[in-house]
Amino acid sequence: MDWSVVTGNLPYLLVGAFPDGPLGGAALTLVLAVVSALASAAIGVAGGIALAMSRGVVRIVLLAVIGFFRAIPVLMLIFWTYFLLPVLFHIDVPALAAVVCALSLIGGAYLAHSVHAGIVAVGEGQWQAGLSVGLTRMQALRDVLLPQAFRIMAPSFVNQWVSLIKDTSLAYIVGVGELSFVATQINNRLMIYPAQIFLFVGFVYLVLCTALDRTATYWLTRHASAARPRVSVTTQPVPGE
Amino acid sequence: MQAWLAPKYLMWLWQGFGVTVWLAFTTALAATAAGFVLAIARNARLGAVRGAAAAYVVAFRNTPLLVQLFFWYFGAATLLPDSVMQWLNAPHAVQLAVFSVRWPSFEFVAGWVGLTCYSTAFIAEEFRAGLRGVPAAQHHAAAALGLTPLQAFRFVVLPQAVRISIPPLFGQYMNIVKNSSLTMAIGLAELSYASRQVETETFKTFAAFGIATVLYIGAVAVIEATAHTVTHARARSFARR
Repeated sequence: MDWSVVTGNLPYLLVGAFPDGPLGGAALTLVLAVVSALASAAIGVAGGIALAMSRGVVRIVLLAVIGFFRAIPVLMLIFWTYFLLPVLFHIDVPALAAVVCALSLIGGAYLAHSVHAGIVAVGEGQWQAGLSVGLTRMQALRDVLLPQAFRIMAPSFVNQWVSLIKDTSLAYIVGVGELSFVATQINNRLMIYPAQIFLFVGFVYLVLCTALDRTATYWLTRHASAARPRVSVTTQPVPGE
Repeated sequence: MQAWLAPKYLMWLWQGFGVTVWLAFTTALAATAAGFVLAIARNARLGAVRGAAAAYVVAFRNTPLLVQLFFWYFGAATLLPDSVMQWLNAPHAVQLAVFSVRWPSFEFVAGWVGLTCYSTAFIAEEFRAGLRGVPAAQHHAAAALGLTPLQAFRFVVLPQAVRISIPPLFGQYMNIVKNSSLTMAIGLAELSYASRQVETETFKTFAAFGIATVLYIGAVAVIEATAHTVTHARARSFARR
């Protein structure tokens, strides 16, 4: 196989037209992923806490909103944010913002359920213990429940972030110059060796995703084994559940 | 706010939905079968088979579906022999009783292959989790009864493993429906593609994306309801025994 198409275009694939033009390629993919990861984590934690604390109608509305974002394809949400928001509010939405918005909302919706599940898994006993030492519900949540819950839900965050890295490729649809977009640009310009181009691009994503996955797993298991002797998170099964 | 869509455009969306459903359905069938084989291969006695299966899962799970689709659509065309490509691009028809089954377009074939290869890796992981969820004592019990390893697997382990994997399996089917939207990037006229096209022609952004979104949510809701029915029917049939 002739890999000259990759080596010849390597700078363009990795950083786009930078430093002469805007940042692009794999570097923009990384920026997109980091920004959306942080935003989705914030939305997810807020949503999960809201799910755990709310009752009745509020909770049903919340579940419906989260269900909506979980049920539609990421692509559809990118369409909504990119094409509809300008029509509705007469504002110009940059493609980059539309993609970050869509990715964070969908990632946040998935994480909200993980955070909620984490809080539930810590157990009713911890709530009662917190309340019985005189903490308010908010204090019990912040100082007793969440520190334990984060340990339980950390793997879900890592999984969600890995799929977030992959989903940044959808920015291609609205013409954001990230890795997949510059790859198709090169492919359309040359029309030869598409297999090499996309194998290489796939490899770059593979490295990014596995690197995140492995580092996080290593970090979590090391921390978990260090923390286990001190904190034992045993949840007694509730009879009748 | 906006006038309703003309029947012609509603027809486009409906046909797009038909392509989405057909693509998701055929992909789900193939990916379930292939995922099952892959899950078995991950527990194979031969180290090379285990390694190859694990490598497949890592490679296909950690690269974006979009890049994989580009690879199959653009790359496969250059890697396959010319005669095969000509056959794939030419129309074919198979006469089945009164129905004439048309061989699908190359876009559909590439989309189907890409989506199937991608989903297989995820479904294999669900099956593997199901197999691991069966306690070791079940293997020992089957062996103690005098069953051969194959019989133990077929009659004792497999039924329990399938029961564990059914709920997450339906989650994967929902993902297949949602992921099928990415095939619009290689020009397959499915629901997202149709909604985009209707939007471009009519400028009725809200109606075009609204209908597509409702159809996606409808498809996901049907899968959810099926999952609910299947798990509950099984739970009841187990309670009766």
